[in-house]
Amino acid sequence: MAEIRIDNLLKKFGEFVAVEDVNITVEDGEFVFLLGPSGCGKTTTLRMLAGLEMPTDGRISIGSRNVTFLRPRYRNVGMVFQDYGLYRHMTVFGNIAYPLKVRGMPKADIEAKVTDVAKTMQITEVLQRKPDQLSGGQLQRVAIARMLVRDADVFLMDEPMSHLDAQLRGHMRAELRHLQKEIGVTTLFVTHDQLEAMTMADRIIVMKDGQMLQFATPREIFERPATEFVATFVGEPQMNVFDCRIRRSDSGYFASCDGFDVPLDTAWVDTSGGAALLDRTLRLGVRPEHISVSETQDAKHPIKAKLFAFEPTGAENLYVMDCGGVQLTTRTSTNETAHFDKTEGTDYAIGFDPGWLYLFDSNTGKTLAFGSQSDTGNTEA
Amino acid sequence: MSFQDLYKIESPAAPHKPKNWWVYVIILLVCFVNFMPYLWIVMTGLMDREAATASTPTWFFKPTFEAFHFLIVEKGIMYNFMNSTIVAVASTFFSVVIGMFCAYALARYDFTGRDDVSFWVLTNRMMPPVAILLPIFITFQTLKLLDTRLGLIILYTAMQLPFVVWMLTGYFRDIPKRYEESAMVDGDTWFQAFRKVTLPLMMPSITATSIFVMILSWNEFAFATFLTSIEAKTMPPSIMAYSIGASIQWNILGAAVILITAPLVLFVLIMQRQLISGLSQGVVKE
Repeated sequence: MAEIRIDNLLKKFGEFVAVEDVNITVEDGEFVFLLGPSGCGKTTTLRMLAGLEMPTDGRISIGSRNVTFLRPRYRNVGMVFQDYGLYRHMTVFGNIAYPLKVRGMPKADIEAKVTDVAKTMQITEVLQRKPDQLSGGQLQRVAIARMLVRDADVFLMDEPMSHLDAQLRGHMRAELRHLQKEIGVTTLFVTHDQLEAMTMADRIIVMKDGQMLQFATPREIFERPATEFVATFVGEPQMNVFDCRIRRSDSGYFASCDGFDVPLDTAWVDTSGGAALLDRTLRLGVRPEHISVSETQDAKHPIKAKLFAFEPTGAENLYVMDCGGVQLTTRTSTNETAHFDKTEGTDYAIGFDPGWLYLFDSNTGKTLAFGSQSDTGNTEA
Repeated sequence: MSFQDLYKIESPAAPHKPKNWWVYVIILLVCFVNFMPYLWIVMTGLMDREAATASTPTWFFKPTFEAFHFLIVEKGIMYNFMNSTIVAVASTFFSVVIGMFCAYALARYDFTGRDDVSFWVLTNRMMPPVAILLPIFITFQTLKLLDTRLGLIILYTAMQLPFVVWMLTGYFRDIPKRYEESAMVDGDTWFQAFRKVTLPLMMPSITATSIFVMILSWNEFAFATFLTSIEAKTMPPSIMAYSIGASIQWNILGAAVILITAPLVLFVLIMQRQLISGLSQGVVKE
């Protein structure tokens, strides 16, 4: 068990910069996720931690040990690969026992440890089978068992659940989270699935194009995203973001968008930059759950909208609204909107919750103003 | 047919499974064409001189080992047999071992000129051996390798290498790198990972390749004829002696053919499972 420190990590493949300027400190026992779209450098970062890829520059330490250019076998890390990397010519027992055998552990001890881990992962009855006789879920368990069997300092997981079907994945999420907290080994988990990261992580590192965008708790990532990319990447359905200009009238600030105006909270605009924000093209963001829908226009629902598409998801309904060319997704509980007319083209009125609006710089994508009701914890990175 | 007529067409009844009896007819025919000549030469090898040269061929005769006796005892052909075995086994071993590492490097590492190397390896295979017979002869003469088993082993190893590299590169590519990576994270050195994880997975392919190389080396004729005379003479050139001349002794030739082909037939029969599974590696995905 150990903490991980990564300083100024850089990895180039020829001229291509895969990972740049990554600085991370992961506490002992923490469950940290590397989240990002494919090709963002998250797997490369993980492979550098495992020693399967050597960094171009920077420093990696596990515990207090500098492991930057150390070969994998000396690092004492456990790893689960995307397609498990189980040896198909060995039985499940042989697979799990392999890391112990390599280290020359006595046979009786291996037997005891493997049985122990198999019990934890509930795979005792398949120990004598070969990997090709197992189901996807069982393979997953075997791969995790092989990682657990060693007393590794750090666990690394490279999209281990991407091959499972949705139902099994939901089940494994809870199980894995529980297991990680029970064993308490520092774990780094790579995924492109924001739901996985949000539900399991202690902290999330969001990456894009080899850059680290934000390193924070799931709640902070969700409520105080560092950039427009983070804001739209996390959350399902994703945040509505569109162009606007902030103007001032007698009654206060408002955001003028194509076809409609959004009244803004004066105090919020003043603390977020005030006059500096005026008359610039900015990006206004609002999450679907912070748009309320009404059949009639009133003070709380000043914006006229037409229903573009209706998407029921069970307990909640998604109404995709068309407001003068801008499409906005809204999310409301099914019970509250049961009486709504769901025919496309029906007139509606919508209103934005002024406490949950976001402003992004349209050039750099950086967040200029967080929702005034969001958690004001410290933002790292 | 108008568009409306299309809707009048209904699905026919489920087609009944046809019995493909003619498939067996073709198989039998192919077997007959393939095995008949061989059966005939085996029979001839067991005939006495008189029966073998008779103008009307007979199906039934009294088998004798007269021809084998002549070849083995009087001509000492078993010495050539031993030469062939040593040369074939040794050259197979060396070409497969060396070729395995070359193939691994070509499959796994991205280095400058990798594609050129692969292509060059392949083109080596296209050159007709006769084209380089003379330079090889002179080289062997200078190095005093003429008529030595060592010379043939070196030559065959070099000749078979491109084939081995070319075959195995494809098979190595089919084995995902993650197996080795997983083993290395588990605590293996690169070589341990290669030996304990990659090689067992490669075994069927390596066996199949070895069988091919063994057959090619065993049958090699042109170089063996020109580069050996007595000491290192292998089977193909020694048998050649019985198939030329005015009066060919058919029973002796038949016996010689049995002696040269029997090891291969037995070998392939024993190894046929590995051969098939090795060749189909990568084709059949799990």
